[in-house]
Amino acid sequence: MSRLRLGRGLVAAATLVLLGAGANLAAPVPQLPVTPDRVLQLALDAPRLIDYEGTKIITVLRNGRAETVTAAEFHKRPNMTRLEYLSPEDVAGRLIVDDGATEWHYEPRLNLAFDGPTMDGDPLRGNLSLLHRNYRVTGLGSEEVIGRQAYVVLLEPNGPGVSRELWVDQATGTVLRTEERDPSRGVVLTTYFSRISFSLNLPAAYFRFRLPAGARVFQMLTTTAESASPEALARQAGFPVLVPPVLPEGYTFSGGAVSRFGSLTSVYLRYSDGETLLSLFEAPAGSIGAPAFGQPVRVGGQPGRFVDLGYFRVVIWEQRGLHLTAVGTVPTDTLMAIAGQFVSGQEQALVHTVSEKAAVDPEIVGRLRSQGLTFTEITRAVMLSQALQVDVPTAVQFLQGRLPATRLARDLGVTPDALQQTVDGALHRASSVGPQLTPPRR
Amino acid sequence: MTLNHARASRLLSAYLDRELDAAETAAVQEHLLDCAVCRDAYDRLRATKALLGELPVAEPPAEFWAAVRTPQRARPATVAVRRPVFGRRVVWASAAAIVALALATTPLVKGTIDRLHASEIGVDLYVRQHAQAMSAEPFVDRAYLGLMTGDADLVLSGDATPAGAAAR
Repeated sequence: MSRLRLGRGLVAAATLVLLGAGANLAAPVPQLPVTPDRVLQLALDAPRLIDYEGTKIITVLRNGRAETVTAAEFHKRPNMTRLEYLSPEDVAGRLIVDDGATEWHYEPRLNLAFDGPTMDGDPLRGNLSLLHRNYRVTGLGSEEVIGRQAYVVLLEPNGPGVSRELWVDQATGTVLRTEERDPSRGVVLTTYFSRISFSLNLPAAYFRFRLPAGARVFQMLTTTAESASPEALARQAGFPVLVPPVLPEGYTFSGGAVSRFGSLTSVYLRYSDGETLLSLFEAPAGSIGAPAFGQPVRVGGQPGRFVDLGYFRVVIWEQRGLHLTAVGTVPTDTLMAIAGQFVSGQEQALVHTVSEKAAVDPEIVGRLRSQGLTFTEITRAVMLSQALQVDVPTAVQFLQGRLPATRLARDLGVTPDALQQTVDGALHRASSVGPQLTPPRR
Repeated sequence: MTLNHARASRLLSAYLDRELDAAETAAVQEHLLDCAVCRDAYDRLRATKALLGELPVAEPPAEFWAAVRTPQRARPATVAVRRPVFGRRVVWASAAAIVALALATTPLVKGTIDRLHASEIGVDLYVRQHAQAMSAEPFVDRAYLGLMTGDADLVLSGDATPAGAAAR
């Protein structure tokens, strides 16, 4: 009898729990007391305002398997960082010290030190225009992380790519936890603080690297010339540079450089969507061999290699006398499609098509190509310039996130909402006119 | 003695030239049995050296060797040795030919070795630069990017296996 009662009790309790869960599922996403945009700005500004030290747990695909890495992270405002890796064994003792000008990496078990450029040399920080244009930002409410209240914000790309969830400390703006999700593979990277202390005034000396006795030093300052134009980079490198014809929606040219490592000279082109990066490296064919590992693939009819590093994906191939390497976090199909666009003889045909469809002089298209813009970007910039009645360089600046919407709206004497409406209309028309990224045939 | 991939790949040339001691030779042989990348590199290196071996070697004339072998002290210090002008020209021409041959073949060997090395470092060099540039994007995790650049540094210094090789 008592068993029967217990059984009925459990059924009733289970029903209540299920009903409760159902009600919870049906409940709307709780509203943040501040806008998601404000939360992002808070997170962006935080490193400039506070010092902290904490223990961070990173779980990521590394060396072909999911691995958890623990590191002690120290930050001193505005831009100094010290990272002491604690586990697993192969990275235990690794030290990275960045004083805002130079980054030192030290491996105690080998007594080796590497000095390279700071990881904080950041012209884009403080500007979220590009991110807002290419990502949907949603507030997912508040949650507790290690006993602290945090805003939860989701960033989802309009195009293909990784979405990112951030847990932002309400009191300081520090990102306490992140989770990155790949559309094809699920969660690819998580990081969180298991412990953190604020309100510190960490000594600056802690962020200055002292070379241990007898340590060998490797110079990793490979970038020798930064330039905003592939044309200038080609002159500096001494070989022609190929500009990608089409990239996923939202990626825009954010700069380039010539880098030299030993006898290898490469040109580096960077494309950003405001939150992540697509990199293209070019070197003369034959100056660098293809790696013997990775998956053999065909790129534009040529043999290539695809290397899956877990979080980053790499495709390597040779075309038009160049050894090309593309690195990014976009899905494999997208990366292969990007690589497949570099087919000889297409350039002039695309210049002609874009100039005809967007009703613009082919010379302007050619000039924008030499500045690193893809045909997709050119179409968007031209149609936007026509819709807003501004010159093409202003439209390019706006699309690349270098001209904030508020300033452009003020210059044009329109409200930000009216500007946004015109921009949306122009970009929608451009997407139906401009060349699109087509997945490779298998 | 066990070698990691990076160290073994750097010893391949010396192994081919039989310049290693017994323990190192055994360790390289053991590594070659397990590592397809090094076997491939070794085969390419052997082919390159075989090609170089087929290049004609200029044989210097007898006067050159006579001049080289004659001990300086055997010559009277106060007596100037006079050779025919033609003979001296031959000696200089032969020496120049040897120097020219050395200069011509050095870039070939160096270029090949550079390319072998570059094929091993290429991905890591570029992944390092990509990770470095990623730090300019908002909300990326510095500790994770530090891990990536640190791993790449070790490969570039020759102290670790290239990225992606572990997963092949």
